[in-house]
Amino acid sequence: MLQIDHLYKNYGKFQAVKNLSLHIPQGDLFGFVGPNGAGKTTTIRMVCGLMLPSAGNITINGVDVLTHQKEIKKQIGYVPDFFGVYDNLKVNEYMDFYGSMYRMGSKEIQRISDDLLELVNLSDKKEVFVDTLSRGMKQRLCVARALIHNPALLVLDEPNSGLDPRARVEMKELLLNLKSMGKTIVISSHILSELSEMCNSIGIMDHGNLVASGQIEDVMDSVFGSNQLIITLEEGQETALRIANEHAGVKVTSVGEREIKLTHTLTKQEIAKMIGEMIAHDVVVTGFHKQEGSLETLFMQVTDNDEEQKGGMENAAESNH
Amino acid sequence: MRLNPIIKKDVRVQSRSMKICWGVFAYELILALVFFLAMLIIHEESQYSTNNLYSNLVWLYPVLAVTQLVILGLIVPVRTASAISGEKERQTFDIMMTTSMTPFTIIMGKVMTAIVQSMLFVTASMPIMALSFVVGGMSWSYLFWFLAVALLLSFFAASIGILCSSLCKRSVSAVIMAYGFYLIFFVGTVLPILLVEYMGAYSSYISTTPMTVTSGGIIYSYRENFFLLLLLNPVMYLVEFFCRVMAGQSLVNDITSMTGITQTAGPINLVTTGYWWMIVSTVLFIAVSFLFLWLAAKRINPVKRKAKKLAEKGIQG
Repeated sequence: MLQIDHLYKNYGKFQAVKNLSLHIPQGDLFGFVGPNGAGKTTTIRMVCGLMLPSAGNITINGVDVLTHQKEIKKQIGYVPDFFGVYDNLKVNEYMDFYGSMYRMGSKEIQRISDDLLELVNLSDKKEVFVDTLSRGMKQRLCVARALIHNPALLVLDEPNSGLDPRARVEMKELLLNLKSMGKTIVISSHILSELSEMCNSIGIMDHGNLVASGQIEDVMDSVFGSNQLIITLEEGQETALRIANEHAGVKVTSVGEREIKLTHTLTKQEIAKMIGEMIAHDVVVTGFHKQEGSLETLFMQVTDNDEEQKGGMENAAESNH
Repeated sequence: MRLNPIIKKDVRVQSRSMKICWGVFAYELILALVFFLAMLIIHEESQYSTNNLYSNLVWLYPVLAVTQLVILGLIVPVRTASAISGEKERQTFDIMMTTSMTPFTIIMGKVMTAIVQSMLFVTASMPIMALSFVVGGMSWSYLFWFLAVALLLSFFAASIGILCSSLCKRSVSAVIMAYGFYLIFFVGTVLPILLVEYMGAYSSYISTTPMTVTSGGIIYSYRENFFLLLLLNPVMYLVEFFCRVMAGQSLVNDITSMTGITQTAGPINLVTTGYWWMIVSTVLFIAVSFLFLWLAAKRINPVKRKAKKLAEKGIQG
């Protein structure tokens, strides 16, 4: 679907994007994560043909973005972080205007526009002037507008910025709905928890570099490791530690008051057997689970340890809760 | 043939705004004031002149026409100068650029909208313009010639405005730049002639003739080359137009005869024959307008500008 190879963008001596290579398969909901100035918007603008890369290739379904603008424009639907509206233009006229810009016939526009407005829950606003809509409604209308020509790829740049919690939930539902319809979606956002709920794959950018990318589970596993186990217990900690250490391939990494963290190379059956053995030796095991990180912790781990930056992302994460 | 969606949208949006109503009102008001002022002057003059009052009324035509062209010349660049920069300020430009519309179609849509609007003003002023025809002595075709000239100058002014709009990020700077371009066409085309005339006079004073060269037995003057710059002077164009329409004479012929420019050989002899000055000037204005539109389209296209160069360099992988 979307293939980016060795992409660079320079502003004089400053490199906004450095050697970015990425593949997003058909039907993915891809989350683009990164602090301010990481190069997300620059990359998105280059993908949409709004900015010329300094070097590198971008192809959508094998078609080069740089040299085949006409074909590419039919394949992309773009939703910017903020979009202005024209005064004195109604919702259906707004859709008609953008449909005409894709050289669609008026009947076709009307039919598709009706379906899209229903999808974004704005059917009852057809005759309403766009500038009177709420920000959330405008953003949903912008998504409908971006879909008018049935693009293969939908690109959204910070679609949730400035939206209230209800509008964010509606936007999330809309995007999940579009994903279920098979659309490939690229979304950049600061709101990490929302992305982790929506996206099946992510790319984390920092200082112009793509520091991690892939399916969320794979990225998490590669960062946190898939072989970490946390056992919580009430009694018999010493016995539990002895049993754990008796198993080859198990290494206790930390011991808490009621918690043991260990890394292992065991299979699921062997883990079950080890836990069973602990219980049989009167260890009161109250639970065990694989250690899982959140997108926030993943982000903090793979991006720069700049304190200011961390603070910014934490604030963004907090503002979401 | 499909209507450019930008024209459809812009005309729709503008027609719903009170601005357009107030604009037409102000336009009509200015014309009406000019009409009454001109009537007053004509009436006053007829009292001290042997000329018939009715024969003087035909001068309402150039007065009203020039007033309209001046107003259009002022408002059209403002409309177009804010067209692209306005879309950028409204943050709708990026969305527009991701659609199937080519940059040239977008530019043409904006220019045509400005022309449609200026033609709305001109059409709305027809009743006032028609007053200069009621006493007779003038053909109705003059009215349509005026419409054609208004269309041409609106197109020229719009192309200047849209080029400036593509060059500037902010509407205000685009408008200022557009008036700067005006200055180049109004003054910049006259200035070299004045300089050459001054230098010519100075050369005569010191008894040398550096302004004239001989090539193949033909005496050829630099003066005429500079005189050809006036083909791109809108004031010269209008003056020549009204001289032709009102008096059936050519100002260009008069000037060239007086200054002796036509005595030399070269292209000046061709363009001062018959209606050729008007024809060549019209073609040049259209050509320059399209050049500006092409430059503006090239300017707003974010990718194509250097795509070829990049491809040639082979750094796309």
